[in-house]
Amino acid sequence: MKLTSRYEQTSCRLVVEGLPDLSAGQDSGTIGIVTGFSMGLAGHTELEGQREHLQALLAAVIPYARHLLSGVPRAFGAADAPVAIEPSQGRHQLELRSSQPDTPALQVQLDDAELSDLVRCLDQVRLDQRLAIPFELPELHPLSRKELRHRQPLLRRLAAPVAGVAALLLSAALVSLAPTPKPPGSAPASPSSTK
Amino acid sequence: MADAPAPLQTPLSRRGIERLDLMLLCAEALDLNGGEAMVWLSEEMGFRDLFPNRVELWKRRCSNPLRRNTRRAALKPEETDALIRILNALAERLYPMLRTLLSSAEPPELNQQRWDLFRSRLKELVQERLNPRRGGVQRLLDPQEGAELSRELVQAMALSAGEGGFERLRASLLDAAV
Repeated sequence: MKLTSRYEQTSCRLVVEGLPDLSAGQDSGTIGIVTGFSMGLAGHTELEGQREHLQALLAAVIPYARHLLSGVPRAFGAADAPVAIEPSQGRHQLELRSSQPDTPALQVQLDDAELSDLVRCLDQVRLDQRLAIPFELPELHPLSRKELRHRQPLLRRLAAPVAGVAALLLSAALVSLAPTPKPPGSAPASPSSTK
Repeated sequence: MADAPAPLQTPLSRRGIERLDLMLLCAEALDLNGGEAMVWLSEEMGFRDLFPNRVELWKRRCSNPLRRNTRRAALKPEETDALIRILNALAERLYPMLRTLLSSAEPPELNQQRWDLFRSRLKELVQERLNPRRGGVQRLLDPQEGAELSRELVQAMALSAGEGGFERLRASLLDAAV
């Protein structure tokens, strides 16, 4: 008996179909084997895929949302992965690559609201207790200083070191202008010597 | 991946507390009863031990270094976790509004009016509660930079709503200081 789980938001609908893995002792209401997955995005035709497509969608979109939340959006999804996402002119370009040869990749431009809807649907999928599928996802961890360095504009990042070097050069120039002290052995010039 | 607190019990940095309080301030700007909703949610979610009354909740929020009357006492990780959970619940309640603001499918003039209303309420709250001498507050009040910052805050709230939002927001608030 086939089971179906639906996850819906305003502009996004995900449907996961599957069967319980009875050999693993799962109950009849749990999906342990995914037999199909479909995604409907507002304004686009419904897309169908397998478990690996759902996995690739999660692996690209969830870390993308994590970085976007920290203000450092960057591309996710390897060149040979079925799904990739990257920031594009204030929007988010989702690229869905077909496993069929000679089928061009589908590019979908999502605005911020549509991306949030997709992220919420994917969150529901990955946290659904009825889906006993071990999705491989990177841990949600705090970003390091190195990963966040793009958040500050280059000028602001360079301001402190440039100001430091400039201050050092200026003080060195001023010190070099000061008269060098005379050696202690030489007698001071007498005012009467000019007479 | 379960929506359970990670074993990591690191306190939030000052910047993390600043962002958290600014997002709570945005929730108040979006919902006129946002302040009351926070107190009610705190009780509903079982945080009475951490925040026995509205004054205690208010005092925790005053750890934001941008506040006029900022408190220097450090917040404990369980207190910041509770505040993040309250924000997560508020973002869930306000999600339709957040979504509308972020959507490009809405009529542009109508959405501009919504943004203007939100920004004017946020400005009032910022002027009332935050220290105008701080650079971060001046940037929020700046017509151009403030518009970008408030959009970033609304987007962050939208990505913090829902089941996975708590974990994601907490990880983001624990980011290294730049």
